[in-house]
Order: sequence, then C-alpha cells, then structure tokens
Amino acid sequence: MLSSGKRRLFSALLHVQKRPCQPSRAMRLVQFQTPHLEEPHLGLESGIGGGVVDLNTFDPTLPKTMLQFLEQGETTLSVARRALATQLPVLPRSQVTFLAPVTRPDKVVCVGMNYADHCKEQNVRVPKEPIIFSKFSSSIVGPYDEIILPPESEEVDWEVELAVIIGKKGKHIKATDAMAHVAGFTVAHDVSARDWQMRRNGKQWLLGKTFDTFCPLGPALVTRDSITDPHNLKICCRVNGEVVQSSSTNQMLFKTEELIAWVSQ
Amino acid sequence: MLSSGKRRLFSALLHVQKRPCQPSRAMRLVQFQTPHLEEPHLGLESGIGGGVVDLNTFDPTLPKTMLQFLEQGETTLSVARRALATQLPVLPRSQVTFLAPVTRPDKVVCVGMNYADHCKEQNVRVPKEPIIFSKFSSSIVGPYDEIILPPESEATDAMAHVAGFTVAHDVSARDWQMRRNGKQWLLGKTFDTFCPLGPALVTRDSITDPHNLKICCRVNGEVVQSSSTNQMLFKTEELIAWVSQFVTFYPGDIILTGTPPGVGVFRKPPVFLKKGDEVQCEIEEIGVIVNKVV
Repeated sequence: MLSSGKRRLFSALLHVQKRPCQPSRAMRLVQFQTPHLEEPHLGLESGIGGGVVDLNTFDPTLPKTMLQFLEQGETTLSVARRALATQLPVLPRSQVTFLAPVTRPDKVVCVGMNYADHCKEQNVRVPKEPIIFSKFSSSIVGPYDEIILPPESEEVDWEVELAVIIGKKGKHIKATDAMAHVAGFTVAHDVSARDWQMRRNGKQWLLGKTFDTFCPLGPALVTRDSITDPHNLKICCRVNGEVVQSSSTNQMLFKTEELIAWVSQ
Repeated sequence: MLSSGKRRLFSALLHVQKRPCQPSRAMRLVQFQTPHLEEPHLGLESGIGGGVVDLNTFDPTLPKTMLQFLEQGETTLSVARRALATQLPVLPRSQVTFLAPVTRPDKVVCVGMNYADHCKEQNVRVPKEPIIFSKFSSSIVGPYDEIILPPESEATDAMAHVAGFTVAHDVSARDWQMRRNGKQWLLGKTFDTFCPLGPALVTRDSITDPHNLKICCRVNGEVVQSSSTNQMLFKTEELIAWVSQFVTFYPGDIILTGTPPGVGVFRKPPVFLKKGDEVQCEIEEIGVIVNKVV
C-alpha cells in the first residue's frame, strides 16, 4: 500500500502518461529522392532547412507514398514517431531532391477571397460563404521545382497560401471535429494566370489556376500537433528577394475547421 | 520456291496481317466485383448488356485497376485483345457488380455549353472557346449506383491519346452552380455520387464514329434529352488539344464532353430530380447507365 504522498505522486505520473503525447520535436514528413534510390521514399525533415532521415530505411514495411502513409493513419504515424525519437543517419539536404509532400491526391481544393485584406485590395465585398474552386493534381510540383510560364498567358501571378492536408476520410464533418481530420500543414503557392482566371473560360477559374506546375507544395507536411496555432502564423511571399505579400493566417475569413466543414457537405 | 499464283496469295495474306487489326468484336473494358472476389477485377463486357469475362483470371499478371491497365498501354491492351479472341467463361451479368470503368483518375475535365441547341435553350451565345470546368474524382460512382440528393488544337493525333469512351451523367445542383459559390461551378457539379460512369470503357477502335452517336436521357422512362454527338461544337480532338495546352493528360483522365438540350433547369417551369426518380443515360454503341436518386 502506498503512503498518501506516494499515491499522489503515482497518480500524478499516471496522469502525465495519459495526457496526449507532446513531442518535443516537430514531425515534418517529406517525400524525397536521391540518386541512389530507385523510387521516391518517405522521410523526416530534421527541422526547417535540415537534412532528411529515410523512414523507409528505418522501417522497410512502411509504404513509399505519402498518400498510402496517411491512409494507414495511426499505424504509420506511430512508426514515424518512433523514428523521430531515435538517433538516425541524416542525409545532407544538398543530396536530397524534395518532391511535394503529397502527390496524386484525390483533390486539391482551393478557397478564393479568404483574407479580409485580399478582398479589400480587389475592392470586393467579403464573401458570406467560402468560394471553392480547384486545381488538378497534375499541377502539383515540389518545393524547389520550376514554375513553367505558359505561352498561353501573359498575366501569371503569385499567391502564397497555407495548405491543409487531410489525414482522415470524412463527410459532413462538423467544424468542432474538423481538426481531427487534419494530418498537417504545408506551404502552397497558388500560381494563377489572371487573364484566364478573370476574363477567359466563361470566368470559371479552373484553367487559369491549373496549368502544369501551378501548385508548388512543401517542403514538408508538418503534422498538426507540431504547429502551435495554424491560425496565427506569419505568411509571406517574396519575388526576387522583395517582399510582395506579408500577412498572418489570423486574417483568414474562414478558418481551417470551417472550411473542412463547408466542403465536406 | 512458290509458284507466282501462290506468291500473290501469300503476299495478299501478308497485307491482311499488316493492316491495323479491325476486331470483329468491340472491346468493352470494365472494372467489376463479385461476392467471391477479394477486390475488384478487370473484365471484358460481352457486348451491350452482356456478361463479363474476368481478365485477371485469364492473365494473373495483369494489374487490377483500369488506371494501371491504361498506364501500361499496348502491353496490357494486347492481352485484352487475346482474351477477346478466346472462348472464355462468361460471368452472368446478374452476378456482377459494375464499378465505374475508371476510378481515381488524376482529373475529370468537363466542358460546358458544348451543344449548339443547349446554348439555344439557355438563350446564350455559342462560346468561341471551350468552357472547361471539373468534377473531383470523389464524385465518380458506377453505372448502376445510386445518386444521392444532397440536402443542395491543333487537333492532330489527339485521338491517339484516347483509350476509349463511356457513358457519363454530369449530375448538377443548379442552385450551387448558378447562384452560389461566386458562380464557380465546381461545388454544384462535384457532390459525391454526381458522376456516374459506365458501364464499360469501349475502346476507341470499337466505335465507328464517336461524333455520330445517338445520345439520350430518360427520367422514369420518359425521354428528356435526345440528340446526337454530331451536335457537339468542340469535338473530342479539339477538346484534347485545347485542354492539353494547360495541363498534362495522364492515362485514366476523363473528359465529360457536354450535354444536349433538354435539361431540367431551362424548362418552363424548371424540373429537378427528386428521391425515387430513375435516370437512364444512353449512348449508341456504348450502352446504358441507370441510376436511382435517393
């Protein structure tokens, strides 16, 4: 029988273990290639700008695509957590080619007019409901790949965006449950051919938004638990070193949970 | 040494073999399930309304998805051709569940306002360029699955990129398409189950002329749309040339090429689908898909 003091300590320890695991390091999942690999592998980026740990070497039973990895939910995530807690060889960043963290997703959902100031700069009223459009998966490229200017457009424009990556299937998701469906976040660039978006194609935005290479993503899928608050992050875009966009995700009109609830209707 | 008469016959036979193969039977590729299969298989539909030959049983090295089948081009197509020419057991249609002939494509490209009369019925000018929109792959269902009502180019060698044709139903929520979502059509077009496809991917060579097929739609047995694909403003080759300016096409990608007049929203008064309705979409030489609205 424990003394009352030890019992309090013991039950406090039990409570610590029952709390959701707060990893001391962020989990930053990547898809990558190197010259000696036959096909892309999954990896962990060791911090922003860091090298890459090969997850498939750590555990050869893991799938090789992020899509399959995410589909297996906790099973594969727990393997990645173990890898994160283990000292493992790190490939130097210079030897690694980063692919987009997710390739060939079922859909790339995009939200228009979702920053209060972005509506203001266009002199348009703030929308009452999210405006949803899409890019084809074929427009996705990696975080350091080239954007190819199409001969068909003279008005290609930049747009930095916070990308949310879904980890759990769902329909009619309530906003209060939405974050549980999020695997993590990454940086996206919604490259846009404004002539096609605004004046051509019957004003349906798709073509102007979905040229090949018009969706750079990456460098890593930073898992949900690794981000303090996705709606309070500085977000900016620089062209040739000059800042052209600088804001915070706290300016988003419809935040992640509302967007997931909206689209999953 | 062959006599000159036999030589002429021999060279005529050689010429017959050199001509592109004109199969006497159409090739109608399907994805299907049966209760005793662990996962969907690829098959050949024995004619419109016919039973199904299991291609994975015929050749166990074949992939099990249409996407992978198409990605391997001639390698897999030639296996299917051999199967078509072989007497093989046919599963009765009643024992088979048809999936959409392609699932999880990279993209479903759709073309708006692509029938002359359909523009006329809306009182809109015929577009100078194709109007392109999309549906998510998640909206795809099979040819006999239910539609769930929500509570709202240079055209040269384009045909060489075409694997085949199938029947599609571009189910559309008109309120969302025309008045909501900033008039971006996506949401109104991409509800789950809003893209029935099938029953088979009828290969390009099996269709005489894709731009001269009767196309019709019946709701509860009553004809609501009846036209011909010869009414298409921008035909298959032009659509492929147009869209491929913007995006790379991959095997498995689907293009919905537009609809003829007779849709419900432009009727006076407008008519919309309700629970219990049964819609049949039919295209000559391809087949019929039947979907109940729930």
